[in-house]
Amino acid sequence: QKLQLREPGAKLFPKPSVEEWVSFGPALGLWYWCSTAAQFRLSPNRQAAKIAEAEADKIKKTYPPENKPGESNYSFVDNLNLLKAITEKEKNKKERQSVKISPNDNKLNVEDVDSTKNRRLIDDYDSTKSGLDRKFQDDPDGLHQLDGTPLTAEDIVQKIATRIYEENDRGVFDRIVSKLLNLGLITESQAHTLEDEVAEVLQKLISKEANNYEEELNKPTSKTESQTGKIPEKVTPMAAIQNAFTNGENDETVSNTLTLTNGLERRTKTYSEDNFEELQYFPNFYALLKSIDSEKEAKEKETLITIMKTLIDFVKMMVKYGTISPEEGVSYLVPSEKSHEETDSTKEEAAKMEKEYGTLKDSTKDDDSNPRGKTDEPKGKTEAYLEAIRKNIDWLKKHNIKENKEGQRNHKEVMVSLFTPCIQFKQHENQDYDLSKMRDFINQQADAYVEKGILDKEEADAIKRIYSSL
Amino acid sequence: MARRGGCALLALCGSLAACAWLLGAEARGAGGPAAGARRRRRPQEDGISFEYHRYPELREALVSVWLQCAAVSRIYTVGRSFEGRELLVLELSDSPGVHEPGEPEFKYIGNMHGNEAVGRELLIFLAQYLCNEYQKGNETIVQLIHNTRIHIMPSLNPDGFEKAASQLGELKDWFVGRSNAQGIDLNRNFPDLDRIVYVNEKEGGPNNHLLKNLKKIVDQNTKLAPETKAVIHWIMDIPFVLSANLHGGDLVANYPYDETRSGSAHEYSFCPDDDIFQSLARAYSSFNPPMSDPDRPPCRKNDDDSSFVEGTTNGAAWYSVPGGMQDFNYLSSNCFEITVELSCEKFPPEETLKNYWEDNKNSLISYIHQIHRGVKGFVRDLQGNPIANATISVEGIDHDVTSAKDGDYWRLLVPGNYKLTASAPGYLAIAKKVAVPYSPAVRVDFELESFSERKEEKEELMEWWKMMSETLNF
Repeated sequence: QKLQLREPGAKLFPKPSVEEWVSFGPALGLWYWCSTAAQFRLSPNRQAAKIAEAEADKIKKTYPPENKPGESNYSFVDNLNLLKAITEKEKNKKERQSVKISPNDNKLNVEDVDSTKNRRLIDDYDSTKSGLDRKFQDDPDGLHQLDGTPLTAEDIVQKIATRIYEENDRGVFDRIVSKLLNLGLITESQAHTLEDEVAEVLQKLISKEANNYEEELNKPTSKTESQTGKIPEKVTPMAAIQNAFTNGENDETVSNTLTLTNGLERRTKTYSEDNFEELQYFPNFYALLKSIDSEKEAKEKETLITIMKTLIDFVKMMVKYGTISPEEGVSYLVPSEKSHEETDSTKEEAAKMEKEYGTLKDSTKDDDSNPRGKTDEPKGKTEAYLEAIRKNIDWLKKHNIKENKEGQRNHKEVMVSLFTPCIQFKQHENQDYDLSKMRDFINQQADAYVEKGILDKEEADAIKRIYSSL
Repeated sequence: MARRGGCALLALCGSLAACAWLLGAEARGAGGPAAGARRRRRPQEDGISFEYHRYPELREALVSVWLQCAAVSRIYTVGRSFEGRELLVLELSDSPGVHEPGEPEFKYIGNMHGNEAVGRELLIFLAQYLCNEYQKGNETIVQLIHNTRIHIMPSLNPDGFEKAASQLGELKDWFVGRSNAQGIDLNRNFPDLDRIVYVNEKEGGPNNHLLKNLKKIVDQNTKLAPETKAVIHWIMDIPFVLSANLHGGDLVANYPYDETRSGSAHEYSFCPDDDIFQSLARAYSSFNPPMSDPDRPPCRKNDDDSSFVEGTTNGAAWYSVPGGMQDFNYLSSNCFEITVELSCEKFPPEETLKNYWEDNKNSLISYIHQIHRGVKGFVRDLQGNPIANATISVEGIDHDVTSAKDGDYWRLLVPGNYKLTASAPGYLAIAKKVAVPYSPAVRVDFELESFSERKEEKEELMEWWKMMSETLNF
């Protein structure tokens, strides 16, 4: 029976030109492909048969859809397991059987790739490097079930993915699936359903995003009708993303598959001013786009837009699977609105702070219960802390500005620098730290330190006050 | 992020600076005559103030470092001294509070003898220095903090320090403040595992991880000071790889064993890792000019420093120390620790602190780097699950290390060719040969097969893989 792997005309992503694929296509393809391929545990060291059988038996076991907050690790295999979790969950809700996009369609585009040009991106996604390996192993609870078998197939997945790029042959993936079926390692319906569900989930998110940008969604290559009912209003990207985050979980409609992709495809050919304007909500991109001459570098511009959309999808995916919270996702894509206010009100801020510190100063003078009896000691301490905080802020500022300058011209660098934080979404990734996040973190830590006797209550209050006035 | 945001931050920092200056002006104005107030000197260099820190100042200094480098630091406490002072630790790493699998853990402990004050101060300076350099983008320090988890405990005996520091006058007694508030010498208070090992050497028995069954005994032992217990728990909880214990009263880097086998007063007592320990000790001393100066006269006229070689010494060869923290690390855990004596004078005048910093700055950094030597990796089963507590033994060195809970292990070794064997109960051991350079550490992973895996399953697997390879043309 035919697997729904080769649905003609169905595309997940637009079919851009070779140059564009050189920049970002492989990244996307690899990311997606690795996610889906890894689920088949392509490694010689696994007891694949046993595992597959066990898996079939344990379908009733539900993976938690949300990753625990502490386990904010992202690797392809993590993503895949979470996808699996979602799909398991949704399978239980018994929504089925409509024409679906196959994940393999992504690889249709791979044919156009001159993959030799951009191997570097693969390095960025090499999960054996830079902490992905270790991050994955930090996650004992949610993803290592089924006889304690984790789904780690990094090396072999990398190898296979590499092969695919070198050979430009998505048929490799097809053959693997076929073989697995022939061996009886997976059942046909499992193969169908898994691939379908994976595609479906991705499609939902992507289509939601597309709806915010597309005005006309009338390429009728898909037979699903539920899409029209779900088109959200034209809202700001931030609100739209937040909507997507909060609504994504409850969306049980069948995927819309193709409308989005065709929309995207269309857009890469003729992009409308409208899209461009909406991107102003993403200052990084906006600045970058503005700096590119439309006539001469139309392609580059289009690619940038696609990149950004992909980035948004990426972040939404992480939110969906609980890797980050919706607020974090939004704040990641959109700088804090505070920064807008600050431009105008720095004078007010300074005055406010002076007043703050005036109060602070007075209170330490009046504080008779100071056990040490050293009246200038608290002042000195606050000064020291203020100094330290100032250095921290200076450093954050330097980091952020530096990145901006370097990223201006080269869109490849922009893409890599944007994707890399996505993947290495660690709590303390310095490049992504913004002021409000830091403040919350410090507040939380200050309280914890008071509890443990590391800080005095007054010290903690002073520190919090300093931060809250920023 | 955006240029607008960046400009805003700039303006903000400007106003912050203005505030700081204002505040500073006020403080300066009101600072002088307050009765009993200890006048705080302005920072002398990059936020490092080269003066003695009492307990409140120590805390404040660490908090300042944390505030300045909040993204890569954390303060925590391993417990309380007898008089209730926190045994504070400043942690520096790219993921503070988290052990990243494969990332080695390092510790510095100072001032376990309360009147040996230089180590305490150096560690405070070090914390500030590492933070400053990190923010300046000093590549060496950035890499170090990203690849290591560094724990700095300036004082294990804050009670003793207060006693010592409270003495009037510049000259401090040789003994006041040395022990903890109960009068216990903390560096004689650890369970004497050397003695057990020496017996095992004769009669057969292990020479590592001797505390495995003794945890309960430790908790119930009334002779252990709270500071000692806190450190023991700390060692048990975190898979430390390398450590140094800072003292004063002489100028040398001292390595195991500390206790003589025969019980005599002086006798070189080799431990199985004598080679790497000598290398580690030299890595400290060689960057400290007076310590490694072969022509330096001994600290006191009649001192016997005949055992000192290139600023290093075997502990027992110098003089026998039973119940010390250094050997306890080596024999109860995977951690290799040396003892560094930093100053002829235990509690020197404050004006000399800056010099001590200059003499030791490079040594302190160089020593942390030593953690990235030898062999390291993961021990896992065939499904990729980590195997914790697997044993990694080195042929020719009679001292094993064990893997931590993520299956990660680190084995410090001097350059050479080695055969490493990883084993665990219920698994077939695997041996691998490896050539080890001076640095960095060589990665060697082990995939252990459990006894229970059946042959047929393996064959089926190989069949499947063979077919896959053919398909993919590997």
